[in-house]
Amino acid sequence: MHEFGMLMNGVATLAANPMALLLSLVGVALGIVIGALPGLTATMGVAILLPFTFGMDPVSGLLMISGVFFGGVYGGSVTAILLKIPGTPAAAATAMDGFELTKKGMAGVALGTATLSSFLGGMASILVLIFLAPVLAGFALEFSASESFALAVFGLSIIASISGKSVVKGLIAGFLGLLIATVGMDPMGGFPRFTGGYTELFNVPFIPVMIGLFAAAEAFKSMEDPKVRLGMAAALGRIIPPWATYKSLLGVVSRSSILGIVIGIIPGAGSDIAAYVAYNEARRFSKTPENYGKGELGGVAACEAGANGCTGGALLTMLTLGIPGDAVTAVMLGALTLQGLQPGPLLFKEHGDLVFTLFAGMIFCYVGMLVLGLGSLRFMGRILQMPKSVLTPVILALCVVGTYAINNSLFDIGIMLAAGVAGYFMQKWDFPASPVVLALIMGPMAEANFRRALSLSGGSYDFLYSRPITAVLLTVAILTMLLPLVKRWRAERAGVSGGPVKATK
Amino acid sequence: MSNAPVQGGGAGAPLSTKIANLVIAVVLIAVAAAAIASTGDFPKTMLAADVGPARFPIIHASVLIVLCLILIANTLRMPTIADDTPPVGVAGYAGVALGILATAACLYAMEYVGYAVATVVYMAALMWLMGQRSPLWNPVIAVVVTAVIYFTFQSALQVPLPVGSLFE
Repeated sequence: MHEFGMLMNGVATLAANPMALLLSLVGVALGIVIGALPGLTATMGVAILLPFTFGMDPVSGLLMISGVFFGGVYGGSVTAILLKIPGTPAAAATAMDGFELTKKGMAGVALGTATLSSFLGGMASILVLIFLAPVLAGFALEFSASESFALAVFGLSIIASISGKSVVKGLIAGFLGLLIATVGMDPMGGFPRFTGGYTELFNVPFIPVMIGLFAAAEAFKSMEDPKVRLGMAAALGRIIPPWATYKSLLGVVSRSSILGIVIGIIPGAGSDIAAYVAYNEARRFSKTPENYGKGELGGVAACEAGANGCTGGALLTMLTLGIPGDAVTAVMLGALTLQGLQPGPLLFKEHGDLVFTLFAGMIFCYVGMLVLGLGSLRFMGRILQMPKSVLTPVILALCVVGTYAINNSLFDIGIMLAAGVAGYFMQKWDFPASPVVLALIMGPMAEANFRRALSLSGGSYDFLYSRPITAVLLTVAILTMLLPLVKRWRAERAGVSGGPVKATK
Repeated sequence: MSNAPVQGGGAGAPLSTKIANLVIAVVLIAVAAAAIASTGDFPKTMLAADVGPARFPIIHASVLIVLCLILIANTLRMPTIADDTPPVGVAGYAGVALGILATAACLYAMEYVGYAVATVVYMAALMWLMGQRSPLWNPVIAVVVTAVIYFTFQSALQVPLPVGSLFE
């Protein structure tokens, strides 16, 4: 109850500071726009805005940055659903089912579901941050390199379930992604691998690959058919999902929010990992897993609740321990320090009033995100009223500029174009693109942490089974990888001995 | 391209898909083999407890080769069925090829004439390619969209877009 009383004081303080409320709304709106633009992530948005907050009071400045953070994580879903352009890496998971729903004329419901799920996931994470921060902070300290490696392997095990029609093709895409992920600096020794002398390849630019595989490939595909070229994209339809529909998603949203919070707490794991893990668990617990990847609202809800659930988790370790959960909170750590606040265990004691005013403001940010999000969807949905002959060039122009914006590099546009061409042919021959993106996110994390853990254990592989969290995560990963294969094998065997089956090779 | 329902046992695929599977598998095996071969140039690790920079690429490439061999075996075993998807045709592929070439040309031109000029021409050309042939609206839409993108990135988000070596 102590926390509740402090929160109420925070609400009262915030109510007396309308400028802070206004700036937090400006932050949310900017975040949504930045998140929706390809290539611009919440991290970049927070970094861009940071210098503007120097002259503000701590509450206004930090709430504006929080607004950009929350809005940025959510905003990526808008273009992912409408145009299959994932504004952020987390939105690449949302695009899997979101864009399929758009193709079915259900873009509005998909956007509404994404907005509501983002709000619920984010709110849950902030409430956990407020009431359970000291309890959960210790959990982050349990995570060392071996646990992070196991988490990355768990993330990679999802490849089997997002492989679409063919597990073999999905695995090929995944391992190709893993091989591509080794391009660049070796994480331990700093030796450049497969770079061909190009300094641009020292760090694998995975966002251009993602934009190319998803957005550019889809744009190239729409150039195939003259009828499609001149047609309208799709209808928006209703925005707020029917209560009966959304009620059935509440279980998915709750589970995904919890997963997002837990993953957010883990240092080094961000909303992209949370979105994919939440998607996989939603599919695993679904009564109709076969609908995932073909336009399932549960898939959209899971990704968005998971990604936004991450925000509070990432803030939790940053505020209580001074350990940033992801890249955005690393920048926010700098913002706090610049405002004269030292994150860590003493922050809550020495600046309790300010911290709880910030918490109240974060709740306001999420409410603002819900209102701004739902209010702007009809306007943003107008994109779909454009003829494809105009929309496709606009998408490609956005792909080009968004890719350039990441590193101010024309080389990256070349990578995006190459990925777009590859993605076009992958789509044509049923090789899924999502495993490549997943591998590019998880591959470097898995390798770096495995080698770090191995060094820490003096070259012994004991850490794979002697640390409980590592052992559990690796076991779950193996089961996640094998179960879909066993199910398909049993289905095929049943098909051989029994009646006709749907081909799933 | 889809695998049609079949009576018990392995799914069939159209001949074009089977050929594509085989070509892609062979290309990927070559890529993976080249990757393994080039790890021979990687230095040995200085740390006694480290596996070195070559271990992970070798593992990934080796698994990729095995998976491609499985794909080849599956493809050779599966029956050939009729293709039920509408053919794209030469005109369709030509449209895609021109779109890809236009993007490559835009990238090349951007280095010399800058973002704004290259994007206006690129967008107008793509609209023309996709059947929007208005001599008035194509350039107008291209200029307006490019201006909005330029303002958003260059002025609002402080992303310096290429000016072009001819105008520097």
